[in-house]
Amino acid sequence: MRNHRRLLGNIGQALIYLVLTVGVCFWLIPFAWMFLASLKPTAEIFTRLWPTRFTLEHYELIFRGGTALRRPFLRSVFNSFSVAATETAAIVAIGALTGYALGRLEFKGRDLLYNTILYQMIFPGILFLIPTFLLVMRLGLVNTYLGMVVRFLADATAVFLFAQFFRTIPRDLTDAARVDGAGELTILWRIVIPLSGSVTAFVALFNFQARWNEFLWNLIVARKYELMTLPVLLASFTHEYGGGQYAGARMAGATVLTLPMLILFVLARRYFEEGVVTTGLKG
Amino acid sequence: MTAKAEPPALEVRPASKSASNRIGYLLVSPYVVYNVVLWFYPFVWGFIIAFQKWNIISPEREFVLFDNFVAALTNTQFWNALSVTFKFWAFFLPTVTIASLVLGMLLQRVNHFRGLFIAGYLASYSMAGVAYSVVFALLFSGNGLINKWLWQMFHVRIPWFSDPRIAIFSIGLLVVWKFIGYYGLIFLSGLQAIPRELYEAAAMDGANGWTRFWRVTVPLLNPCFTVIFVFATILAFGIFTEPFMITGGGPLGSTQTFKLLIYQKTFENLEAGYGSAMAILMAALSFGATSLVRKAIEREVVLS
Repeated sequence: MRNHRRLLGNIGQALIYLVLTVGVCFWLIPFAWMFLASLKPTAEIFTRLWPTRFTLEHYELIFRGGTALRRPFLRSVFNSFSVAATETAAIVAIGALTGYALGRLEFKGRDLLYNTILYQMIFPGILFLIPTFLLVMRLGLVNTYLGMVVRFLADATAVFLFAQFFRTIPRDLTDAARVDGAGELTILWRIVIPLSGSVTAFVALFNFQARWNEFLWNLIVARKYELMTLPVLLASFTHEYGGGQYAGARMAGATVLTLPMLILFVLARRYFEEGVVTTGLKG
Repeated sequence: MTAKAEPPALEVRPASKSASNRIGYLLVSPYVVYNVVLWFYPFVWGFIIAFQKWNIISPEREFVLFDNFVAALTNTQFWNALSVTFKFWAFFLPTVTIASLVLGMLLQRVNHFRGLFIAGYLASYSMAGVAYSVVFALLFSGNGLINKWLWQMFHVRIPWFSDPRIAIFSIGLLVVWKFIGYYGLIFLSGLQAIPRELYEAAAMDGANGWTRFWRVTVPLLNPCFTVIFVFATILAFGIFTEPFMITGGGPLGSTQTFKLLIYQKTFENLEAGYGSAMAILMAALSFGATSLVRKAIEREVVLS
């Protein structure tokens, strides 16, 4: 009887692994197909799953012939990286400073600011799209890097996450430093941040990913090819050359757009998982 | 450090209240200044613009009171966008909830390779909207891989993005693909927080698996359901990249979401006031729907 039960349990376990494995393969098809299609000769993209030969012609087209198509893909990779890195750095820096003040200091108006931030987190972003664009336009920042980054220099959720985490660090640690005469900035930089590796990593990774993938804002601010980020350039390329002829080039562009995030994601999986759970349950 | 040999009574708060205030203000000032300029100011201005007739490029603006709102509410495109959003929501929310709950429950039952499975399902969340849109546009195209398989297996082809009756649901399917790992992980963490004893006690009372699921699991997962329902509702109002890239709002306006409509009105037709009025209406609808969803399902859960 017990053996019988254990056997049933084992079969059940095996079934669960089977379902999850088949599911995950199915779920990863778009990645695999995109990657393969970017390496197939054009004629085989729709006709063969596994190509007769691999080719880099699509990557060559977008990176070298890209200028012939008037679209500097290489430059857009650089643009994407610079814009996302600048925004992420600002979000982390401002988030940590504000989170430290809100989480560990006492000052008049602190609760008001904290509640405002909670409110900002759930505010519909669409309300800001048009007026912010008009502001950027009036400041002459359309078609500039500054115009792109200025919208994403601080993030309420980042402040919230830092404040929540900083609160959990034992008072004794920072009080001791304060007795020794350390300033608040020194305490933040030397003691609090080193103890907050996981939340800092999560805020940085999550925002870098979101900023790298950002589409709508960069679409309306960057209208010149030289300034477009990779998603915007790929979208403009897709809208002009939507047919089958450039399908491989589009897949090459999509691969270049996806691969850095996928690698980052695999390397830093732990922080993503932890962070998704905390933001999901608290946000 | 050596000076601490004889610990004095620790008075470690900064010397005075005003000094404490000063350092606090100093640290929050970048955030506050930034948000005054790029949050509060645009927020107020957005409302002012909505009461004006303005085509962005000309310096002429005139106050037109509620004209923009009236124009939006009497425009069939606005109601079409609402119906598109509702269809998306009605499909997306149950599908993604059930799929990710099943995923969470399966993940809870495996001991090996769990991290690997999570990474596999979560990978879709890391992909840019533009990237997966161009990929799915080809995968789901008339002669794409999916239709080829469907033809081989069932002798049918589905016009995923070209039939106005199903295009928005096809987009819903892509978004399910993107979010199942994310939501599955939220469910997994919720499931892991449920004490085993509760299931054992329920089993002792003679509850079978099905009853335990409905009487123990579902009620205790209420915070997860609430979060996911709220996320899914906000998402339904915020769909932009997928229809922009794949269908352009078509066929026959069947995928013209609010955000796409606002984008087209404002940045293609340059009707800033009209677009702003629509944005305000959409934000109000989104906020109202989210509050309703919250009210409908959120329950106090006490886990001792």
